[in-house]
Amino acid sequence: MSRVLALPRWPRGQPGASIRARFKVWAQSRQPRTDTLLLTQRNVYILPTRAGWVFASTLLVLLLASINYQLNLGYVLTFLLAGSGVVSMHVTHGTLRGLTLHLKPVSAVFAGDPAVLEVVLTSPGAARFGIGLKVWGAPADTLVWNNVPALGQAHSKVSFVPGDRGRHETPTLSVETRFPLGLFQVWTVWRPSATFLVYPAPERPAVPLPPARPVPGGPSRSLATDGGEVEGVRAYRRGDALRQIAWKKAAKSMNAGGELVSRDTSASLHQALWLEWQACGALSPAERLSRLTAWAVAAERAGAEFGLRLPGFTLEPASGALHRTACLEALALWK
Amino acid sequence: MTGETALRARIASLVPRRWGKLPREARDTLFLLFVIAWTVLPHLTHLPLWCSLLTAAVLLWRARLALTNAPLPGRWVLVAVLGTAAGLTLWSFQTLLGKEAGVTMVVVLMALKTLELRARRDAFVVFFLGFFLILTHFLYSQSLLVAGAMLVSVWGLLTALVLAHMPVGQPSLRLASALSARTALLGAPIMALLFVLFPRVAPLWGVPQDGRAKTGLSNVMRMGSVAEAAQDDDIAIRLKFDGPVPAARDMYFRGPVLSHFDGLEWRAGASPAPPLLRRPSDVQTRGEAIRYEMTLEPLRLNTLPLLDAVVQSPSVEGYVLAMGNELQWRADRPVYERLRFNAVSYPSFSYGQAAARASLNEYLELPSGYNPRALQWAQELRSDPATAHADASTLARMLLAHIRTGGYRYTLSPGTYGRHAVDEFWFDRRDGFCEHFAASFVVLMRALGVPARVVTGYQGVDLFPVDGYFVVRESAAHAWAEYWEPEAGWVRADPTAAVAPDRIDRSRRLLPAPGMVAGALDSVNPMLVATLRNALEGLNNRWNQWVLNYSHSQQLDLLKHLGFSSADWEDLAILLVGAISALATAGAGWAWWDRHRVDPWARQMERLRDALHSLGLAAAPAEPPRTLAQRVRSRFGPAGETLAEQLEMLDRQRYSRDSLARPDGSLTRAVAASARALRSHAGVR
Repeated sequence: MSRVLALPRWPRGQPGASIRARFKVWAQSRQPRTDTLLLTQRNVYILPTRAGWVFASTLLVLLLASINYQLNLGYVLTFLLAGSGVVSMHVTHGTLRGLTLHLKPVSAVFAGDPAVLEVVLTSPGAARFGIGLKVWGAPADTLVWNNVPALGQAHSKVSFVPGDRGRHETPTLSVETRFPLGLFQVWTVWRPSATFLVYPAPERPAVPLPPARPVPGGPSRSLATDGGEVEGVRAYRRGDALRQIAWKKAAKSMNAGGELVSRDTSASLHQALWLEWQACGALSPAERLSRLTAWAVAAERAGAEFGLRLPGFTLEPASGALHRTACLEALALWK
Repeated sequence: MTGETALRARIASLVPRRWGKLPREARDTLFLLFVIAWTVLPHLTHLPLWCSLLTAAVLLWRARLALTNAPLPGRWVLVAVLGTAAGLTLWSFQTLLGKEAGVTMVVVLMALKTLELRARRDAFVVFFLGFFLILTHFLYSQSLLVAGAMLVSVWGLLTALVLAHMPVGQPSLRLASALSARTALLGAPIMALLFVLFPRVAPLWGVPQDGRAKTGLSNVMRMGSVAEAAQDDDIAIRLKFDGPVPAARDMYFRGPVLSHFDGLEWRAGASPAPPLLRRPSDVQTRGEAIRYEMTLEPLRLNTLPLLDAVVQSPSVEGYVLAMGNELQWRADRPVYERLRFNAVSYPSFSYGQAAARASLNEYLELPSGYNPRALQWAQELRSDPATAHADASTLARMLLAHIRTGGYRYTLSPGTYGRHAVDEFWFDRRDGFCEHFAASFVVLMRALGVPARVVTGYQGVDLFPVDGYFVVRESAAHAWAEYWEPEAGWVRADPTAAVAPDRIDRSRRLLPAPGMVAGALDSVNPMLVATLRNALEGLNNRWNQWVLNYSHSQQLDLLKHLGFSSADWEDLAILLVGAISALATAGAGWAWWDRHRVDPWARQMERLRDALHSLGLAAAPAEPPRTLAQRVRSRFGPAGETLAEQLEMLDRQRYSRDSLARPDGSLTRAVAASARALRSHAGVR
């Protein structure tokens, strides 16, 4: 504990808060972050539920009635229920114990959209029933319930709305069950180690993209690169957006045994589309990031080549999903 | 558990075909309603009619709501119905407390709560009320049949609980009931342990008296009260004789002795004087003693109906017995439980010869203003010179002869009698059963100047013992008379024997007309019915002896068998705590052992890696068997071919389209053996 005592950040003067903070530090040190967690006796906790306490007092009343009326069958009933309760305690604990939890990589989301954690539960033995997952501290009605087949796996999706843009740690998850009788609650606290990105929320309604500007010294290509008869059209290339396809001409071309044809946008290459911090007028930094995010999404959807210019950071024009991801990452992490 | 399968088959035949297609919610609700109805059903005979109808209506209404997925009624409807039910309960029982009213209210609450199943908390209330309701059945009967029915109820309630905790998909009832049965069966050893070792203590406080006395015996006799019991075929006493069995005609079980007559009712005398003040009884016994073990059903009386005459106090666990002045044995408090004890009786005895004349006066009292014709008749007899100086036994013989020849008839339905019941019976109607004969005999004897009293109890046993146990039924409840004579003391006279000797000699009692089904069965095969009845009663008897009659003395006996020399409370507590600790340790041990249980495929891979490690091949955890096979080939060449092929086969077993559910242990062992062989081969080379 001496290591813990040396921590400097503790609030002073509030014993309750101090104890809580101390407990939190201790509890987190017991639960190292991991993406794959095997549930054992060390990390599965059990307590009676309120129904469990009511059940216990019911048993007490049944016992008193049996004593006072000298009912041997009353004793049998009371003790049968008590025995079932004790067994249910073991069954409840055994429902979580031995399970393996594994978190799949978490995909990035825009701020304000729900993130989805996909968890794989694996049972090494018998089937498990009624296992609920939720983000630690979330209300009980957000529990996602699962059954895990014997020697099998169950895939569970827990969604939650993460905070503002940036790189986030996966929130602490709680896995719990009350199966079979609801007299005991067994739970575990799982701190996955994975992190994920939250992009800025795209501005809504979206503002039109800024006009492209001619860029001196930009890459220049001839108009009909495929040497085709038709001006402004070239053969379909992998990655061309659907809207880029010249459907009428493509139909003709394919009729003649040719391939799909796309509109040649190389003309625009002379003009680079720059998404710039400076172009956002008098907005606050957060609003600027939102607008740039909306633009990046729109530009990629239009199939345009675009670059991103933030104070102290520049991404050269390019196109495609990877470029979009790079832009969004930059927007998420820009400081 | 063949009963269960039969029941399940019956349920399956009752359930409509749409059952499987019902939405989960509706199906679970219907199942719970069915369990509740099953649990309430045995109460129908004790419940007021309005309660049965209300419960049935509410359950049916709820079932309809579940089927149509309609919204539940508002809270005010429930409050109104509950208020009405409370009012009706008050009207039916004049109270809201007590057993009957309590059971009625629990049934109503349970039914109404089903209309309020909104949250999980509501469901739990239904379950716990259900467990209470099950217990209330045992207040009425603890028979094997009730126990079986309630076991089904417990099973059903636990199944409903399990269903409530399986929120995903549509788990089948079969699965949920199997899971709940498994929970209960695993809990059964704990139940048995607690049942055997939990100390049996006396009631912690007085329980409300039962309004309806079920036994045929009572401290008050009014014409007609014994007739009700005479039709009750329940068992009152079980006897197991150690040695000779007395003749049925000698088996008089002396219950309350009724000596005070107020013209309408016969009452027992005052409670006996404290032991120190009581003079020693002057019972003289002759002949052989009869030893027996007696199992008494709950009497709700102080007086234990022992076989006449018991001289030494039987020892009954938890009670202090004392002999009354009238040879009856009384406990220090009413007996509300089944008792088992040993007693010694002397069928031939005499007592009361030395009674002081003054102490006999109370047995001569007759209220004035009742039965004038009987008194007149006795007066005439006393003034008749032929009988004026006759002794008591001559007078008794005369009265018995009069009964025998006077056209009296023994019947269970003599009708009701008015204010001058003895007059009416003795002179006009002449129809009656034991209490009419006994009461009239005693009134006339007293009018003739002979001290006399009514003795109530049981008379006779069933002809054939079951499992060595003789059975005395409630219908054997009887009333007879005793009169006092200077030389002989108190003498038994049974006026009923004078008119219906069969009733006494062969213990054949009048039977009410059997119901139609029973009559049909009887006419088909009377032997079959008797055999079935005997077998059932044998089973019931064992149930009584081993389960219902298990008490503190049996616990102490058990401890003695286990080697505790002077067993007492502490030993019982130590044993119980020890056993529970052992069980808890076993549970924790199981959990600890279970910790090591991993996926069998993972265990197999671990063994493979171990085997390869001994060959000097360090395998990473992520490497599948086929990769390992390649590494074995590249390392050992043709010598490793067997091992490599085995590894490939193992890979197919796990990953191919028709893979095995569990790893094949023999192949795992074969791999290990090949690895050893390869190592020795490589070592030789």
